Amino acid sequence: MNQTPQPMVKLSTIDKTWADGTRALNSVDLEVPEGQFCVILGPSGAGKSTLLRAVNGLVRPTGGAVHVDGVELTPANERDIRKRVAMIHQHFNLATRASVAANVLSGALPDVSLARALCGWFHPQQREKACHYLERVGLKPEHLHRRAGELSGGQQQRVGIARAFMLDPKVVLADEPVASLDPQISRDILTLLKDAARELNATVVCSLHQVDLAREFGDRIVGMRSGEIVFDGAPDEFDDQRLNRLYQNADWGDGEPDTSREDTPELEAAGGM
Amino acid sequence: MNTRPIPVPPQGARLQWRLDQPFRLKHVVIVILIFALLILTGHRTEMDRMVTMTTQAVGNLVGLNDESQVVRGLSKVADSMWPPQLATSEDIGRMNDFNPDDLSWFARVETRETTTQRINEETLQLESATETTEVLYEPLGYLKTVMGKMIETLEIALWGTILAVSLSIPLAWFAASNYSPNRVTYTLARGFISLLRSVPELIVALFLVLAYGFGPIAGVLALGLHAAGFLGKFYAEDIENADKQPQEALEAIGAGKIKTVLYAVMPQVLPQYVAYTAYILDRNLRMATVVGLVGAGGIGQELKGRFDMYDYGHVMTILIAIFLFVFVLDQLSARIRARMI
Repeated sequence: MNQTPQPMVKLSTIDKTWADGTRALNSVDLEVPEGQFCVILGPSGAGKSTLLRAVNGLVRPTGGAVHVDGVELTPANERDIRKRVAMIHQHFNLATRASVAANVLSGALPDVSLARALCGWFHPQQREKACHYLERVGLKPEHLHRRAGELSGGQQQRVGIARAFMLDPKVVLADEPVASLDPQISRDILTLLKDAARELNATVVCSLHQVDLAREFGDRIVGMRSGEIVFDGAPDEFDDQRLNRLYQNADWGDGEPDTSREDTPELEAAGGM
Repeated sequence: MNTRPIPVPPQGARLQWRLDQPFRLKHVVIVILIFALLILTGHRTEMDRMVTMTTQAVGNLVGLNDESQVVRGLSKVADSMWPPQLATSEDIGRMNDFNPDDLSWFARVETRETTTQRINEETLQLESATETTEVLYEPLGYLKTVMGKMIETLEIALWGTILAVSLSIPLAWFAASNYSPNRVTYTLARGFISLLRSVPELIVALFLVLAYGFGPIAGVLALGLHAAGFLGKFYAEDIENADKQPQEALEAIGAGKIKTVLYAVMPQVLPQYVAYTAYILDRNLRMATVVGLVGAGGIGQELKGRFDMYDYGHVMTILIAIFLFVFVLDQLSARIRARMI
């Protein structure tokens, strides 16, 4: 793997402790170079969503620093950074009663004046772009004015991807984008996401819990467990033995990180990027 | 994790089964107290007299009783209210701009002779004096006046609703806990909304008539302010309860609060907003007929004026007009609602 001098996303020893004392992230270090499709893999409650949300500031880490494209994320520049960091959600997070077109166009809202937003009077280039991406994700012109909630799950996630690419993002955060879809559609969606990101040379950080998909699509697999990174390497390094270790006696709750990590030092040793 | 084992009774222990009666002495005492309170308040509100008088009235109607104050009063009113007054007649001598060649529909000039008897001061005898006056008689003139007042009532309701909606949208923004800038603005907005809602329209109108004078301004403001209290509360609560997921999606790209509400909250809450606003319009249409009673314009003001001058024929015309008006509006709104859902 060739690592560019400046990583696109850089997390430096970030911690996140929730108000109730649960440690969701425990001094996590992660650098993702530009253009990489980085898959975060791990059991439920491992801290994957928290990690992704720390990148765009939806979750404020209790310790450490987040850099996006060399700029440190602070509450002051949060909105500017968020414009260049798109997000794709597990539950699609579309406005289900609004039309597909309105949903895709809403992805361009940070670049639209309030008066235009109020009237729904988006720039012609933005309308063209919305149509372009909807075609790109495999939807038809007749879907434009359908309510987003009437579409199937797979189609809704396609709309979600089109919305995410409206602002030409540098980074795409995908939080379990295919968790509620069937295997074939999951594969289609991830192919779309990967191809679209490659066209823009966008960096993708994608959390998944399906191991086969992670191996198939990831340029790199980061294994997380109990708020810590326990594996970091290329997909072919992630063999079945390591897979079993990752999921073995996993702490399925949100409890304290258990001590099993110390029993498996070879997992850490594999982090050879 | 401190999981304690679920307590299990030891093997062979007899379980205590008990099924009590639903009432005990305590409940009987409470019921007796409630009854005593009802009897006391019923006496204070003259419910006992109401029963006696109503019984008398029923007895009078079926012929068992000769005298009933209720029936007497009602029949007196009914006598003077029938027939409803539709026409107007106006003394031509007092009209400044009378033009006999340009009369409105059905209008005609009539000559009236009024005979008055007065005492001749010299002879101390009663003499009759006849005066002739020309009047402009319009058979449907009063109906026209009432129609005009009805339209004014409609307009008061409409503008009251417009005022309520435009006031309650900013209020709802500050009264929605997840979008209000801070705790202080939230509390202020909620407090203001409660204040608006707690004062009835009629009382608001009473004071506004003092401020703005007789006429529709006071009516529109009274209806608008009161309804803004309702709408502000309902709009704000819908914003608070809206699905968070689409809002997170727009927050994640830095769209800003106002645009997030426009594109992630409004599509969800719009059908509810339309329903609330339609209800307020419906309510304002009915209330607009009432606020006129304190001088705030519309048909109510006309009704109060006629009632105070004992023109019960005119009052009857107004009452029939209000009934027809509300009836037609109910039919219309039911039909529109059926089409929208």
